[in-house]
Amino acid sequence: MNMNRNWTFLLAAAIGVPSATPLSGQNLPVTYERLKNSTREPGNWLMYSGDYNSWRFSRLDRINTQNVSRLHVKWLFQGRHEEKFETTPLVVDGIMYLTRPENEIHALDAETGRVLWVYRYRNPPRTYNCCGRVNRGLAILGNRLFMNTLDMHVVAVDAKSGRELWKTRMHDYTAAGGYAATGAPMALKDRVIVGMAGGERGVSGFLDAYDAATGKHLWRFNTIPQPGEPNFGTWAGDSWKTGGASTWNSGAYDPELNLVYWGTSNPWPDYNGDFRAGDNLYSCSVIALDGDTGKLKWYYQFTPHDLHDWDATQIPVLLDGEFRGQRRKLMAWANRNGFYYLLDRATGEFLVGKNFVKQTWMKEFDDKGRPIVIPGNEPTPEGIDSVWPGTDGGANWMSHSYSPLTKLLYVFAREERRVFTKDAVRHPTTGADESDRPAGRPIFARRAPRFAPEESWGKVTAIDPPSGAIKWEHKVVSPPWGGVMATAGGLVFGGTFEGVVFALDARTGQRLWHFSGNDKVYASPISFLAGGKQFVSLPVGDVLITFGLD
Amino acid sequence: MNLGEGGAAHRNLRLAVCPVERQATKSDRLLLTCLLLFTAAASAQENPFTTPQDVEQGRRLFQTHCSYCHGSRGEGGRGADLTNGQYRMGGSAAQLYRTIRYGMPGSEMPAVRASDDDVWRMVAFVQKIGSAGLEERATGDTAAGKAAYEKKGKCSTCHSIGKEGGTLGPELTDVGRRRGVNYLEESLVKPEAVVPINSRAIRVATNSGQTIIGIRLNEDDLSIQLRDTSDSLRSFLKANIKEIRRDQPSLMPAYGSIFSAKELSDLVAYLSSLRGAQ
Repeated sequence: MNMNRNWTFLLAAAIGVPSATPLSGQNLPVTYERLKNSTREPGNWLMYSGDYNSWRFSRLDRINTQNVSRLHVKWLFQGRHEEKFETTPLVVDGIMYLTRPENEIHALDAETGRVLWVYRYRNPPRTYNCCGRVNRGLAILGNRLFMNTLDMHVVAVDAKSGRELWKTRMHDYTAAGGYAATGAPMALKDRVIVGMAGGERGVSGFLDAYDAATGKHLWRFNTIPQPGEPNFGTWAGDSWKTGGASTWNSGAYDPELNLVYWGTSNPWPDYNGDFRAGDNLYSCSVIALDGDTGKLKWYYQFTPHDLHDWDATQIPVLLDGEFRGQRRKLMAWANRNGFYYLLDRATGEFLVGKNFVKQTWMKEFDDKGRPIVIPGNEPTPEGIDSVWPGTDGGANWMSHSYSPLTKLLYVFAREERRVFTKDAVRHPTTGADESDRPAGRPIFARRAPRFAPEESWGKVTAIDPPSGAIKWEHKVVSPPWGGVMATAGGLVFGGTFEGVVFALDARTGQRLWHFSGNDKVYASPISFLAGGKQFVSLPVGDVLITFGLD
Repeated sequence: MNLGEGGAAHRNLRLAVCPVERQATKSDRLLLTCLLLFTAAASAQENPFTTPQDVEQGRRLFQTHCSYCHGSRGEGGRGADLTNGQYRMGGSAAQLYRTIRYGMPGSEMPAVRASDDDVWRMVAFVQKIGSAGLEERATGDTAAGKAAYEKKGKCSTCHSIGKEGGTLGPELTDVGRRRGVNYLEESLVKPEAVVPINSRAIRVATNSGQTIIGIRLNEDDLSIQLRDTSDSLRSFLKANIKEIRRDQPSLMPAYGSIFSAKELSDLVAYLSSLRGAQ
């Protein structure tokens, strides 16, 4: 790849130490203007990824490379739940809002962890989530918090009282193989954008917008083109009806372009593409939608006709900088298929692609950024164990982070292989196979078995965005299920599958601090101010641990 | 309680559904009644998929859905050892079906995503590995094998039968029920062929020049824990370790060069006779 080395970035806001946040008198409402300018409120964490650029970067520097060795536990929130604790809390002027499995919202004093109110949403006994009865977080706009539910509702809750304000059904959660919603919504202007899950269950994916004040449905973008729409013919026969392509994580937003960026999941069935010949648009893609209308501006498909469950549901990271001598609005994306991508986010033009973990499936990109696939990596009936990355990918849903200080993208990557097995899957509408299920009811594609933990590992990888070059790696024992957060203090925080919470030197990858949490981390860190002090929070096991200095 | 859709098992199990919210004064009796009803219904359900072909399909499905946690042969690891025939949620076909279909509350065991028929096939395989040796009879001299185990082999240094013996290697109290003759032979001649995740050997070389050999018990990025060859529990900070080697996963000697063919046959016969508490 020819890369222009003259790379500079514009910072949306100056990096600096903010003034202390007041201990009381929470500054509601959180207006759209505040969300657009969230970088001016570094003591708060106003949306899932910290800002619309999805940098998951804290501009706080009170905890830094010089004093991080003194970081210690300040308080705990006891989740007391057996499900994976995947939440990213929000913090607004000293009040923390977090979701606890399945669909509870807890408001806490962010300085002490003391609970202020609790909202409990009651799901039906059976829901159709593929991978745990989990929730990843909230959005806030005005005085309202927004949460997706496992039974496919969006709820708005009053941020001061925890009272439910409205509840809107997105879809019949029992339809097809079953729908669910687990990702954090994203609020912008007067609306909230929500995704859905079910790519393993033969659903038909979409992204929705709802009026923040009333819950009224505003628009829907179907991630599988409907008859008469462009790209409808990328699914053989009627496989489009059950093609998956869900939108189960969160997205990013460019207010200037008014474009919402969101990643889409695998096509269904995951490991058997026999009856869904074609590229299967817009699965395994990033879609750019007009925030007002939901109309598609552009798309880029990372993995056409995916056969490995390599969802493109990572969080898009938006950057501004020069590329080949031109100032560009860019998007950095470390994908589950093992490749890092740089795209022009105004047009969707493919600029850079380079693997950041071991990969065996792609020979090269063509001029348009379409992968030229190496034959022999497809799932087989007997199982194929030589494909890298594995089905959980080089990256998954966990957040990446970008630091404007180091100009590096940090990815907590997974190095592993799996056995990919192709099994007979019944056609979803003709229903002919040996299954005893009713005709037309999809059965699930096979998941791939994993190898022993010793045969796989994880690594925090620092990527140079314009080139995709890896600047450093910090290896850990197991492939992670947690994300990372860079800070103005020159640190990168994260947590491992064994529960080691760490702070790395953002410039070198050297570990400067650790804490033995001794349970699995399934979430990404945040940082905030409370009582004039900086804190770092991360769920470990079923406990949200909050660290700070004296 | 929601028992899901489809399948003959569901229809029968649904008979056992009981209300769960009642007055406390009646709760104990009600719960007992529910449990008895459920147990009766569950125990009565037979697996409709038990042919050798079903078991083989179940083995493949097990690799896909279960092997990461339970090991490729069900020997355990992150998940429970499934070869010992002891299951928390019960070992009848219907109880195993329910465990696989709906998962195990309070544990990491999820509901397995597979068709009802395939769940039954996995049940058939799990029941097979839980009693792999039951139908087999080795041809060697059991008494001679016992002597070889205790004296020439010194097997009890690392393995235990009942409460007697070491803890470095897997317990053998009921290995004859859990393992077939071929597996036992392979374990003696080529012990590195299949090493359960929880019995993998490591060699730790410390910065101070020590080398400690043992079975890896736990590990994260900061430290590693093992049971050394003298049966002591050890923990090392990785900052104090120069090298960790994992290239010889079994500590057990290859007995093919230690025992004669007859002695091996006798030892297999003795191991095969170990069926645990009846």
